Parts: sequence; C-alpha cells; structure tokens
Amino acid sequence: MALLRSGLQRVANIFGGTQGGILSRFVTSLVPSENKSVAETSKEVIATCNKLIEQNASRNFAIVHILGKQWRVTDGDLLVVEGYWPPNIGDQITLDKVLVAATKDFSLIGRPLVQPGLVTVTATIISKGLSHTRTHFKKKRRKQFMRINFQRAQQTILRINSVEIGNKINEGRNDV
Amino acid sequence: MSANNLFLKSAFVRAPLKNGVGRYVCQLQRIVFKFCKSNGASRGMRDFIEQDLVDFSKDNPGVVVYLKPRRHRGPVIVGEYLNGDRLWMSVHNKTHEEIVKWVELFRTQQGNNWNSRLRKYQYTNHPSVQGPWTPFTFKDPELNTAELPDVRFGSNNRLPATATEQLRLMFEKQKLDELKTAE
Repeated sequence: MALLRSGLQRVANIFGGTQGGILSRFVTSLVPSENKSVAETSKEVIATCNKLIEQNASRNFAIVHILGKQWRVTDGDLLVVEGYWPPNIGDQITLDKVLVAATKDFSLIGRPLVQPGLVTVTATIISKGLSHTRTHFKKKRRKQFMRINFQRAQQTILRINSVEIGNKINEGRNDV
Repeated sequence: MSANNLFLKSAFVRAPLKNGVGRYVCQLQRIVFKFCKSNGASRGMRDFIEQDLVDFSKDNPGVVVYLKPRRHRGPVIVGEYLNGDRLWMSVHNKTHEEIVKWVELFRTQQGNNWNSRLRKYQYTNHPSVQGPWTPFTFKDPELNTAELPDVRFGSNNRLPATATEQLRLMFEKQKLDELKTAE
C-alpha cells in the first residue's frame, strides 16, 4: 500500500508539481478569487458599467461601419470617406452601424451591432471634394502594351460631433 | 524645375478653424466667373449664367459671386476659400451640365487639395482611449511581485509535449501498473 501511495505521489508530482511539473504548462493556475455564480457576476458588472455611463467618467469611442469600412471614432475626429455618398455639406447625420462602443473602463461589443438606440454617434459633413489625380499606369515590356488612366475619387470629410452611450445597458429603449 | 513640381505633396486631413465642431461654415467665400460674351468656348458658361446663377447666389448667401466678361478670352472659374486657398479652373468648351457639376464641387469642397495626396484618411486627437496594448495588458498582476527567474513565468507553454516528455509519462505509468500488479 505504501509503495502504491509513494508511486501515486510521484505521478502527482510529475503531473501537477508546483515547480513546473510536466503538465504545468498546460494547466493555468489562475483560479477566480471569488466563487460567485455567473449570473450574479454579470449583474454586478452591468451595474458597474451603468454607473460609469451615468457618471460619464471618460471619453467614449466607437467603431462604426461606413460604406464598407470600419472606423474607430471619438469626439472631434475627422474622417475621409471615399466614393459616392449622398449626404451633402452641412448635414448632421447619425452613424447607426455601431460595432463596438467603449469608454476607458469597459467595452460594449456588438454581435454584430450594438443594440440600436444604446449608442448615438453624430457627425457633420464638412466637405465634399475630389481626391488628387491618381495615375494608373500599366506597361508590358516588349509587348507593345501601354495604358495610362487618370481618376479622381469623391471624398467626403466628416466631423464626428459626439459619441454618446445614451441608454443604460440591459434596459429597454427610450424611444420605443 | 524642383522636386516640388515633380512630385505630389502629401498632407494630412484637416479642417480649417475646427469647422463642424460647433456649427458648420461654408468654406467657399468668393467665386468669379470669367467668360466671353461672343466666343463659342464660353457657351456653356453663358448658359449657366443665364439659367442657374441667380438661384446659386440665392441659395448661397455667404458666397460672393463676381461675373467678369472679357473679350476673346477663355472661360474660367476661380474660387476663393476661407483658408486662403485659391482654385483656378479653365472651363473651356465645357457644357452647361458640366459647369453645374464643377460649380457644385467648388461650393462643397473646403479648399484646394488638388495637388496634395492624403497620407491618412482619419485625424484624431485621441489615438487611444483605453491605452495602447502592451504585452502585459490583461496579464495576471502576480507577475509584478514575482521573483524572477521563475519556472512558472519562464516556461514555454506554447509547445506541445515533446517525445521525451511523452516517453517519461509512459514510463511512469508503466511503473505504476507494475506496482499495482505486484500488489
């Protein structure tokens, strides 16, 4: 019996010894400090986030989707959107496709979009112009082939006015 | 000829006078239409002046509009912007519709950026809100007080078990089985 116990002890040492047993690198020693149920923890986290939203403690940022591109925006940013886009200068628009909204301390990650009405990103169109002339030059050697094309893309400059997390998390919408 | 003429200058996105933060201000301040009253090249320009110019200046009270007829000279549009830029464009033989479009472009853009390439398509004063990522972000703060070198933190935990380790495991298992059978 004693033999068996010593053998077991040895195997245990090999597997889970504190000083780098064989499997130490497969096992994380990170044990959650408090053993709370998941539901309770998430409730607490949401309450903390709601408190932070109320206090408006730090600068917000959001990741918005505009014309096939994703932009990380915060108050006062300038964006250049390329391609045809109907909004005209002076227009105030809200960017509704918000993929992520976050403050310094927490992030709200949309799946794929953050719940509508929770985050408001407003922007002003300040300029609609053209880019510089881009030259597309193609040449194949020894094949008598040469093309040169010029193109200018439409560029819309946006000023982000505000990124606001308006509602509280996990509460109904204000506007419905 | 210098490098400035040969190569495109580069620029960053900017808006004059923080345009759009509080309110929006149209950046076009003055537009001058130069044309000839008789020459065919100014035909489109004359049509524009006859049909659209009054509406244009009514819709844009903030823009000063000048007409400059001159004999036997080509038609030209010159725009002057709030940031001091001046944009000169020949509209020789351009039709009425084309001129309408170009005037709209003059009105909506915020300056002369035609000879500069944008380096970035975004400008921000706050490149990071949550702080830039470092290798220690989201790591256990236990590392701060650990005495290094430490096997736990120093071990390479990204590799699969080596053949030697597997052999050793098998050997220990075999020995344990032998012990069991012996008892």
